[in-house]
Formats: sequence, C-alpha cells, structure tokens
Amino acid sequence: MRKQHVLAVSALSLIASVAFGAANAQDKTIKIGALFPMSGPGAYFGAQDKQGVELALEQLNKDGVNGYKFTVQYEDSACSPLPASQAAKRLIDQYKPDVIIGEECSDATLAIMPIVEQAKTPMINAGSSALKVTDPGNPYTFRIMPNEVMQGVDIATQAYNKLNARTAVLLYENTNAGIGNAKVFKDTFEKLGGKIVADIGFGRDVNDFTSIATRIAGVGKVDVIPTYTLEGQGLKITQALAQAGVVKGGDGPAIQLGTIWLPFGFEQKAGKAALGYVRIVQFDPTDQRDMVKNFVATFKAKFNADPTHINAHAYDQIMLIGDVVKRGAKDAQSIRDQLAATKSFVGVTGSVEFDKNNQNTKMDTIHYMETKPDLSWNALKWN
Amino acid sequence: MTATIVAQQAINGIVLGSLYVLVALGLTLIYGVLVQINFAHADFVTLGAFAAYFFMHVLGGSYLASIGAALVVGAVLGWAINVTIFAPLRRKGSELLPLIATIGVSTIMQNAMLSLFGPVPYAFETPYSQKVFRVAGTFFTLQSVIIIAVSTVTIALLYAFMKFTFLGKALRAVSQDRETAGLMGINPNYLIMLTFILASALAGMGGAMLAPVLVLTPFAGTTVIVKAFAIVIIGGFGNVEGTILAGLLVGLIESFTTQYLDPGLIDIVVFGLLLLMLAFRPTGLVSERREENV
Repeated sequence: MRKQHVLAVSALSLIASVAFGAANAQDKTIKIGALFPMSGPGAYFGAQDKQGVELALEQLNKDGVNGYKFTVQYEDSACSPLPASQAAKRLIDQYKPDVIIGEECSDATLAIMPIVEQAKTPMINAGSSALKVTDPGNPYTFRIMPNEVMQGVDIATQAYNKLNARTAVLLYENTNAGIGNAKVFKDTFEKLGGKIVADIGFGRDVNDFTSIATRIAGVGKVDVIPTYTLEGQGLKITQALAQAGVVKGGDGPAIQLGTIWLPFGFEQKAGKAALGYVRIVQFDPTDQRDMVKNFVATFKAKFNADPTHINAHAYDQIMLIGDVVKRGAKDAQSIRDQLAATKSFVGVTGSVEFDKNNQNTKMDTIHYMETKPDLSWNALKWN
Repeated sequence: MTATIVAQQAINGIVLGSLYVLVALGLTLIYGVLVQINFAHADFVTLGAFAAYFFMHVLGGSYLASIGAALVVGAVLGWAINVTIFAPLRRKGSELLPLIATIGVSTIMQNAMLSLFGPVPYAFETPYSQKVFRVAGTFFTLQSVIIIAVSTVTIALLYAFMKFTFLGKALRAVSQDRETAGLMGINPNYLIMLTFILASALAGMGGAMLAPVLVLTPFAGTTVIVKAFAIVIIGGFGNVEGTILAGLLVGLIESFTTQYLDPGLIDIVVFGLLLLMLAFRPTGLVSERREENV
C-alpha cells in the first residue's frame, strides 16, 4: 500500500514536472502587438509594415533568441486617434503583449501613448514624426526614426545650403505631424535667411489640388516646396504642381521636398511630374552593407517585390526586439529597460541609440534621394 | 496677373463643380423619388472608379470607353442591390429599414473593395491627364475638357429625359406624389427601380470621371460624398436644377477659398453656406414648385 502510494506520488510528480516543463517551454514566447493602419488613407502603411514584420519573424523564429520564439497579433489602428486607442485597449486587454510596435501616424501614436504607459507595455514607433511622441514622451514609448525637428532642421538646412534655396512654399496636411513638420522647416529656413512665401495647410479630404497649385503659381519665385502629406494626396499635389508649371516635372523652377511619408514607388505612380523631387527616405536600397543586401534579397524572394522604407522600418522594429531579448529581456518591463539601454543596435535603416526621452539620436537613418528623368533615384549622400 | 488668377480659379472651380454635380445628381434623384438618403452612393462612385481603372489597365480599353463601362457596372449593381436588398425591405413598409440597409451595403462594399483591391492608392492616369493647354496665362488639361464635356452632355440628357420623355415625367410625378401617381396608372416600383439604376449609373460614371482626380483607394468615394450631400441640400432636396447650380457653386467656392483664404477653411465655408441655406432658404437654391403636382 505504502509502495503504491510512493509510486503514485512519483508518477504525479513526473507528470507535473513534464507538464510544467512543457508550459515553461510554451511560455518562452515574446508576444508582439502590432498597431498598424489597415484601413483608410494610411492603409498602405499597414500592408507594407506587415510584410516587414513577417519576414523578420520568419528569420528570428528559425532558431529563436535565447530560447524565445516570437508571435504577433495585428490590430487595425486606422491612422486615427479614436480607432487607434480602441485597438490599443483591445490588444492590451485580450492579447497582453510584451511589447507593441506602431502606429505610423502621429495623431494615432499620441493617442495610444497614455494607454501603453498605463499598461506598462513598451512601444516601438518607426513612423510618427511629431515631436511630442518623445518630447516629453513617456518612459514606455521609443522612436527609432528621427523626429520632425531632426528631419525638419536637416532638410531645411540642406535646402538652404545644398540647393541654394531662398524662397519656399509650405504644403502640409492639417494634422499634428503635418503642422509640426512644416513649422520646424519654417523656423529653421527663416533663421538661415530664407523666406516662406506661402504657408498652405489642407484637410485629408481634399482631392483636387489644381487650385492650390494655381495659388502657388501666382506667388512669384519659389525655390523649394516642402510637402508633408500621405501618398495619395502627395501624388495629386505633385501632378497638379507640374501641370501648373511650378516644379521641375512641369518644366518649372521649383524643387519639391519630401520626407519619409511617401512609400517607394511614388515616383513611378506620379510619372514625369516627380522629376527633380528631393526627399528623405530612411532606407537606402543601394546601401552596400551585407545586412541591407541580405534584407533586399530575402524580401524579394519572399514577396517578389523590392522592399520599401516602410517594410524596412517594420523589419528593424522586430529585429530590435530580437536584440533586446538577446540581451536578456524576457517580459514587458525588462524589454523596456533593455530598449532604454540600447547603444549599438544596427538595423537595415540605420543605427539606434536612445536619448533620455527614448528618441533615437542617430542621423544615419536619413538618406536624401533625388528623382532622375527615368524616375529612378540618385542618392545625394548629404548625410 | 489678378485677372489671370481669377480666370484660372474659375476654370478650376467649374471642373471640380462638374464632378460634384455628377456625384450629387444620383443622390438627389434617389432623394427626390424615395425621400431616402443613400449612404452607399459613395461606394458606387468608388466602384465606378475601379471599374474604369481595370477596364483601362487590365482589359486595355480606352479611357472614354471606360466611362461607359463604369456607367454599366454602376447601373447593373444598382439594379441588383435594389432587387435583392432595398425592394424587399421597402415592401415591409418601414422607411427606416432601407435607410439602415444603405449603411450596411456601404460597409460591405468598402470592405469587399479593400479585400479585392488592397489599401495602396492606385495611380489612375489617362492619356489626357498630362496633356496641358496654356492659354493667356491660364492652364487646363485635356482631362478637364473631357470632364466638362461629359458632364454637360450628361446633364443635358438627364434634363431632356426628365422634361420630355414619358418615363421622365412619370418619374417626376412619383417624386411629387407617389400615391397619386400610382392612381394615374404609373407603377411606382418600376419607377423606383429605374431611379436606382439611373442614380447608380451616374455614380459609376462619376467615379470614372473622378478617378484621375481622386486618390483612388477603396474609400475614395467617401471623400466627395459629404460635399455631395451638402450640394443636394444647398440645391434643394431632390431638385435636379438646384443640384447642378449648387455643385458648380461649391466647386467655385472651393477654388476661391483656396486662393483668397485658406484651403483649410473650405469645409467651414461650404458647410457655413449649408447652415445659412437651412436657416434662411430651407427649400434650397431652386425650390420645388409643388403647384405642378399632378
């Protein structure tokens, strides 16, 4: 009887230990919540982000990192504050992620930030340029791309020094990011001695930009037109400016300037109108580093397309998570702490080192490209 | 310089207004006959735009033929949705059910298009978009000329249909008093069907005309539909002439607000006008002459 009792206890212990071990193995998963716009005017971000995430996960999960595998759950945050905050709450309540990546649009990111802070879940952002995301920001939000000030100061300085621009027209959508980006350009450009001859904001519901192009054509000599808008409106603006004979693409003198808002392939859609367009991209596909060459090759093999900076940003976000797990992170708090301690992460878009506000301080993520007559890019190597 | 700019903005406003008219006419027809707002109208516009896009870029058709293709796609879909969804709901006797159904149809259409066509904006180029004419300091594209020509012909045909044909007169009779029209031997259900087909065909064609102007995504139509609703109200609910006038007026207001105020104020000006109309002339720019009732 006693023997039977001992045997039973031993068997139960064995089963329990096996079960515990299995549970432990299952627990060695880092859950990533992804808040991307999958609908509305910014939906192209989400579609491309997803590709970058899938490729990175495929590579990380091949061997795992420190015994951890990575899973992802997507929610549509729609590039807009209300749906974004609802999606964030749903994600945190139901999926309980260890880390979140997203959103792309600044207004949406700003709406999500208090929610992730309250949930003490770190969030890595790679698409929102509004200064407020990291200034003052919060301890749980990290941004791996340059903010609007870093981009705006740089592009205004380059326009003044490298393009000898002295007059500019500001064109921007009336959102936190649009207004903020335009203001930084204006402040820097005027400080350098340049003049803003028109300051034009517009809503996301504007479709026909002929009237705006007409107004610009009537303001006199314009050297540069910094433009802050999503791809769809960006296309229409570029074409309208060319039709009005304002920009180089329409045989005019002005050069349109853009930032990372536009995906790759923009020039092919805009056609000849995009000739001479100078813009910041945060991924240089001509970069000769092995890491970039491998990324381009594997992406092409998986999706039968060239990667865009949006693909590359999403890829880097996941790889950064892999990096912090490699450095010992295993849950939300330790991921946050390791992210804050990041000093030498190198991704396909550039390197990452966060300041005390969790803003990446590295400028090697800014690459300037000029559209050539055949609509391909000329890397300007300004940074 | 100022005169040139005024002329240019007038051209811009008329082109934009012509596009708005094409979209708003369908809404006003449905409202006039059914006293019902069709929330799915924007999605018929989007579908028309995609129909034209694929007709050109996949089947290799010309742009002008693609306008016809979009018109047919709109008409067929309008007929199908009316037969399968709206007509059965109307037979239940509630006015609310078909109204809510239009919201459902809109959501289904948007998501179906998102699933089929994806979220990335399409670049709808026509051979006429880049053909720019420069005359006396002003500029316009061949596309703009086509927009104005097609809109004018469509409006003229619709006007002639409504004024001079038996079906048009019957349609107006139904819009003025459905019951009395029925007593006169007119089949209101047949006329309602015709209205849906006409409105959806106009929306489809409007989509094809708008496609080179719009940011073409599955949500494209929603960006113009709010303006179209405003135009229908400013013009006078259900009034075709009023809708045409209001459409052109809104197009001109947009152009001149952009030039002399700020494009960010366009909605404030347009919807301010809408509120003024509701307050001081609720029947719209051209009020229905009820004494014409049969």
